[in-house]
Amino acid sequence: MQSTADLKIPAWTASPARLDRSRTTLFVLALGACALGSAVFASWLPLQVSIVTVFLFAGPHNWFEFRYFLMRLPVRFGNSRNFFLTAFTGIGVLTVTYLLLPVAFRFGSWSEEAWTIVIAGWNSVLIGWIGMLVLLRARQKRKSDWSWFPAVVLAAGAFNWFAPFFFSLVIVYLHPVVALWFLDRHLMRTRPQWVRTYRKFLVILPGLLALMIWRLSQTPPLVDDNGLFWRITQHSGAELLPSVSSHVLVSVHLFLEMLHYGVWIIALPFVGSAIARHGKANQQFWRPATVPLFRHPRGFPRLVAAMLVFAAILVVVLWFGFSVDYATTRDIYFSVAIAHVLAEVPFLLKML
Amino acid sequence: MKAILLICSLSLLLLTFTAVADADLPKPKQSPKASESRVVLHTSLEIAPDTKLYEARLQIPQSQLQNLRAALDGAGGNSTVAASVTGNPTRTIIAGSLLFLSLSFAGVWLARSRTNLGAGRTRKTIAAALIVTATIGAAAIITRGNAGPPGYYRWRNLPQSLSDGHSTVGGLDIEIVADNPNSYNGMKLLIPLRKANQGEE
Repeated sequence: MQSTADLKIPAWTASPARLDRSRTTLFVLALGACALGSAVFASWLPLQVSIVTVFLFAGPHNWFEFRYFLMRLPVRFGNSRNFFLTAFTGIGVLTVTYLLLPVAFRFGSWSEEAWTIVIAGWNSVLIGWIGMLVLLRARQKRKSDWSWFPAVVLAAGAFNWFAPFFFSLVIVYLHPVVALWFLDRHLMRTRPQWVRTYRKFLVILPGLLALMIWRLSQTPPLVDDNGLFWRITQHSGAELLPSVSSHVLVSVHLFLEMLHYGVWIIALPFVGSAIARHGKANQQFWRPATVPLFRHPRGFPRLVAAMLVFAAILVVVLWFGFSVDYATTRDIYFSVAIAHVLAEVPFLLKML
Repeated sequence: MKAILLICSLSLLLLTFTAVADADLPKPKQSPKASESRVVLHTSLEIAPDTKLYEARLQIPQSQLQNLRAALDGAGGNSTVAASVTGNPTRTIIAGSLLFLSLSFAGVWLARSRTNLGAGRTRKTIAAALIVTATIGAAAIITRGNAGPPGYYRWRNLPQSLSDGHSTVGGLDIEIVADNPNSYNGMKLLIPLRKANQGEE
């Protein structure tokens, strides 16, 4: 009789298919938990959770986004030279003019209507810039039909000139949703087997939003009797939509914002680490070597590493600023953050 | 390309005529007169019995009072929205021109895509997106119209709750009505109660 000591039991290893299924389950559970948690916290204590969320995640999510854009940046622009030149010029000009708007408002004597036209003008430049980028992208992707886009650009322009402040508010609410689009395109490229599950999850989101709005529609407006709370309700459009409870507005915006942070900080790095465990690449997000611009023979390793370190320092500075004077830092952050909102446009277009 | 040029030329021509036709536009609507009643704020109300009180008491939270004051300041209701949308003829002209061009381009695109078999799927997608947008819009309008459980549903058990000593919470519209020298001029609270056999009206 063979003794138990002689038995050689091979170490149990999960098959790749089993591993993939467990990772898909984990991915779905993470998405569901993130969405449900965001909805509950955003509905329960919108102002307090908004303060904590922005404090903790605003800076890190920008760092992750910056790193992601670096990863998508080609070593040489090649045929995309005009596209990237237009993109970076637009980001620079629009960001600087956006930052100058409050200065112009403070030092100029503007009538309400004149100021509305200034805002509509800035929005028009933004729409024109996006239209130009789509045109350049369409030239690169001859097989895709983009002929419908001029109609959409012109319709957006019309809406902007009818109601410039509402157009700006739409951008505030749409920007978080763009992150979900990024994740969709990223999964299409890297984990196509997850796309179906992810899109099923996306279908649930409008239902969750509708439930939130229904539950909160009868709630009284939030008490925004201090400067910080007032800023948060204004950011969500409380002044523009006085007939809607500010509780609904802040909760919905915070919910979308939390999803946005979740995508950049959790979902996209998770997808990267899942690929790494499958042996395709070493994708630890903190390593500059994961950025093609760093490891390519004709790349810029020092510049990339320096930029990532500098961005990390900015995150720490932002946390420090929030600790010292939350309200002022929040104002400055949301003004400067327009740059990352703009940067999402060309990089998303490159993924379409 | 020729079609686009033709549309641009036609739109310019139309704009020229618009300037002439503009003189026939009706006068803008006047803001509501002071004598007309109007709902200025929607909020919630709790009616609770209190055995210790000798006089009925209306308690208004500070924040609600501020909201009411703000709503009253914007006479005519929702003046911010109205002003920001229809404030200026220059903006209206630019917006109208862009909308006209947008519809023209959409028309050209639809006409061209009919001849292009490959674009069928895209057209279906856009059509689906338009239907979804219209549905969401309609849903939003219905929601804003207080669809779903009607407002009076929350007040249905008020008499029973009052006799049992419980409170009841429901929606409340604050309405400013004109003074009438021939009738009672105090505050009036109207509760939307339905008889049991009255059902949905």
